[in-house]
Amino acid sequence: MPAFSVTRSNEATTLAVRGSLDINTAPQLADEIDRIVADKPTLVIVDMSALDLIDSSGVAALVKLYKGVRGVGGNMTISGARDQPLAIFRLLRMDRVFNV
Amino acid sequence: MAATIRLTVPGTLRYRDVAIRVVAESARMLSSSDPTFDTAVIAAFGEIFNNVAIHAYQRCRGPIEISIAPGDRELVIEVKDQGHPFDPSAVPPLPSELDEDSLPEGGMGIHIAKTMLDEVTYEAGPPNLWRLCKRLPGGVRASI
Repeated sequence: MPAFSVTRSNEATTLAVRGSLDINTAPQLADEIDRIVADKPTLVIVDMSALDLIDSSGVAALVKLYKGVRGVGGNMTISGARDQPLAIFRLLRMDRVFNV
Repeated sequence: MAATIRLTVPGTLRYRDVAIRVVAESARMLSSSDPTFDTAVIAAFGEIFNNVAIHAYQRCRGPIEISIAPGDRELVIEVKDQGHPFDPSAVPPLPSELDEDSLPEGGMGIHIAKTMLDEVTYEAGPPNLWRLCKRLPGGVRASI
């Protein structure tokens, strides 16, 4: 089962990430990030409501997505962050940048 | 005080989850499943394992020796490897004012480990030695 899924609507592209986003699973997301950025979305929502664990590699993947989306003139927000992933974003002081 | 747990795994990312499961269960036994304690230990250990597999062994195989020592009020984990030494002081600190331009794409793992734990020390080897310590909150005594 993939650890992520992408849905597109007129308003936003939503990337839902599930389970664990870490050094072993983050590389699977790299191609999807490239595809999302190539679409030049106006808004990307990263749904972390089903994400249980994240490590620095997972954070780096989302930073890459954020920079890519901003680079094509779009915005990115994170929704549903909880528990360990939320603690990691706060620890890294990225919660404000991502509007977590 | 419970016995020290010793585990040796190949130093590749394929064995990361195996090592993390053992560390996670050890943390749960000590803390009686305090999620804050367990989360901190698991997150920090995972980052150190990543560091050893990527930087010390540079994705080549070598042993990682893990020692998990539950104390009355703390959990001490030692991680030894025979790979290239690492210089923690070379890791830049997080920018004091984080914004869109200064968002880092690397170097966050050691920062996560140091912030999540009470003590993180490193001695270059061989063997290289990481020593990680997490104390139970508020002077709570271990449940094992």
